[in-house]
Amino acid sequence: MKSWGEADRSWPGRAALVGVALLAAATAACAVLDGAISLMSQAMIYLLAVVAASYLLPRLAAVGSAIGAVAALNFFFVPPRYTLAVEHREHLIALAAMLAVALLVSYLSAALKRESAAARESESRAGQLRTLAIELAAAGSEDEAVDIGRRALLQRFAGPVLLVTSIDGAISSGVDAGEDVMRALRCCIDEAALLGPGTGRWPGLDAWYVPLGTRDRVVGAARIEPALASDTIGREHAQAVAALVAQGVWRLRLLEASLAARAEVERQHVQATFLASVSHDLRTPLAAIVAAASSLEAQRTRLGDEEQGRMLAGIVAEARYLTAVTENTLQLVRLSAGGGALRTEWQSIEEIVGSVVGRLRSRPSGGRIRARLGRALPLVRGDATLLAQLAANLVDNALKYSDGAVGLTVGHCGGRLLLSVKDRGPGLAPGDESRVFEPFYRGRDVSDARGAGLGLALCRAIAAAHGGSLVVSRRVRGGCRFTLALPVVEQPAVEVAA
Amino acid sequence: MSIKVLVVEDDREIRGLLRTALAAEGFEVLTAVSVSEATALLEHDPPDLVVLDLGLPDGDGAQLVRAVRSKSAMPIIVASARHQEAEKISLLDEGADDYLAKPFGVSELLARIRVALRHRGTTLQPATTRYERGDLLIDVDAYRVERAGRPLHLTPTEFKLAARLVRAGGRVVTHRQLLADVWGAEHVLDTHYLRLYMGQLRAKLEAVPSEPRHLLTETGVGYRLIVD
Repeated sequence: MKSWGEADRSWPGRAALVGVALLAAATAACAVLDGAISLMSQAMIYLLAVVAASYLLPRLAAVGSAIGAVAALNFFFVPPRYTLAVEHREHLIALAAMLAVALLVSYLSAALKRESAAARESESRAGQLRTLAIELAAAGSEDEAVDIGRRALLQRFAGPVLLVTSIDGAISSGVDAGEDVMRALRCCIDEAALLGPGTGRWPGLDAWYVPLGTRDRVVGAARIEPALASDTIGREHAQAVAALVAQGVWRLRLLEASLAARAEVERQHVQATFLASVSHDLRTPLAAIVAAASSLEAQRTRLGDEEQGRMLAGIVAEARYLTAVTENTLQLVRLSAGGGALRTEWQSIEEIVGSVVGRLRSRPSGGRIRARLGRALPLVRGDATLLAQLAANLVDNALKYSDGAVGLTVGHCGGRLLLSVKDRGPGLAPGDESRVFEPFYRGRDVSDARGAGLGLALCRAIAAAHGGSLVVSRRVRGGCRFTLALPVVEQPAVEVAA
Repeated sequence: MSIKVLVVEDDREIRGLLRTALAAEGFEVLTAVSVSEATALLEHDPPDLVVLDLGLPDGDGAQLVRAVRSKSAMPIIVASARHQEAEKISLLDEGADDYLAKPFGVSELLARIRVALRHRGTTLQPATTRYERGDLLIDVDAYRVERAGRPLHLTPTEFKLAARLVRAGGRVVTHRQLLADVWGAEHVLDTHYLRLYMGQLRAKLEAVPSEPRHLLTETGVGYRLIVD
């Protein structure tokens, strides 16, 4: 908003012109009525012009009009006419009184004008601050709060206006304001002090530097132009805006800290559950290994060959199982830590399934796997090790929970690659379709079998990391079917050389 | 004279077990706990084969592999845990002969040692150019491939790929090595070439392509031909 003074400054000749016009009008009126009215009434007409000039014009022009009015009355209408001389003492007193009244009126109306202008400005500033406070309360991020603050300052100041909440942040986000500006901003933040013209600190600067916040917690600083030493009100307004922005930023920081604290509590809870379950999964096979190994150590001479062989095989099997649990745990942790470890390359699902089946075939239960793969399967983008682990976990799971054949099929349908693993085991209890994928959940009827807990959670995490999905469904005549769907993207080009 | 194996492993238990197991098979076993000790041993008492554990306290297995390769064709078998995958592959690319994923069984280790020694044994052997196992025959010199006695037609690229695996004599060949040797150095990142041509090769060489019995996929590492 622009004040009155600025509007007049924009065209200085206007005031003089208006003053002269008013006096001319008063003179014309007096000349028309000359003879019909007394000199006293003519003086009143001039006084009316002076009051009007005092209201419309700035102080200096108003005073000029008052003096001009008295001079014009004297010149045109006080005898002897057309001279500035005064014949009667009475007229002299009247002119002096009129001058005094005219000056007094112009002084009073100037004061009134000033006060009403100040009231208008302060009301408008209060309105701006109110809007600012409301906008800041709704701001969702620090950047947004800073932007709102910058816009509020630009309503009052022509600019440029610079607002930063941290010097390093400003530098890293590409604010290039020059070294001097940065130094002044840093000093403003460090000392929590207002700098610039009229502040008594660094008056040589060409802008104001206003700290956001008070000594204990300064959250940033603002650089404001233009800065006039005489503009006390502007400075106060800038400080009020800065205080509100500081409050807004502070509120956002507290909010963020409290959200982070809550997330941390959540994370620790998940971690505690995770550790409890992993240590359970590890303890059981370890107990079996210790029992078998210590028995061999202490009772070797009393055990038959067959018993010794069985114990040794048990140790190897339990140790393999421990390895699988460890691998699954590590991968799950790695994937849930952010998935940055995903090494994606073009993969052949036939190859991955082939290596998984080949490995599982060497186990006693491996003969139950029935693999069927479609022809001309597309390549998929993915991490071979993770996809192999997914397939192995699914097949392993099916072998563990069923005694019959385990079907493994891979097909290509509707832009997706589908891998299904089917068994005729006890199947799922109703409602378990999503819970089986929760870490450490076990189906109700299978509490004696172990280790499914983590494997399926990892499978789903791997599927998700590849942009795919993994679901389980109950089969009509018993058992369940896990289906992995992976997106098929545009196939890579191959130079046809040979 | 018995064959000398150097085991570089910092874990005392595993070192002791490997020593016992290998000695029981008639190998003479040297052990080292660090890269520096291994380097010193290689200098003064060169073995016939090295089993190198990754993640040694004083660092870099790659340095050891380069040092050995600069002087001799002595087989190096890398033993690595799962999280050392990238390092393992880079050592294979540097010239290590084969790898074992930890935890491994003694029988797997012995099988790898047998393959490594057969290929580059104590006496200089001609490069392997013939693969004959079950119903499959690949004769690189004669440019001949047969399954169950019937000749198979391979495209030149398929044949190059098969020949590269035959020459490795049962040792793993990494993706990078295969791509560089068959398609050229500018294609070392085009793994999809391998996926496609290996698929074609499996379809021709294997009775059941989805369950290969000759062309083994080492997930995330490379391929090998299974030898008995």
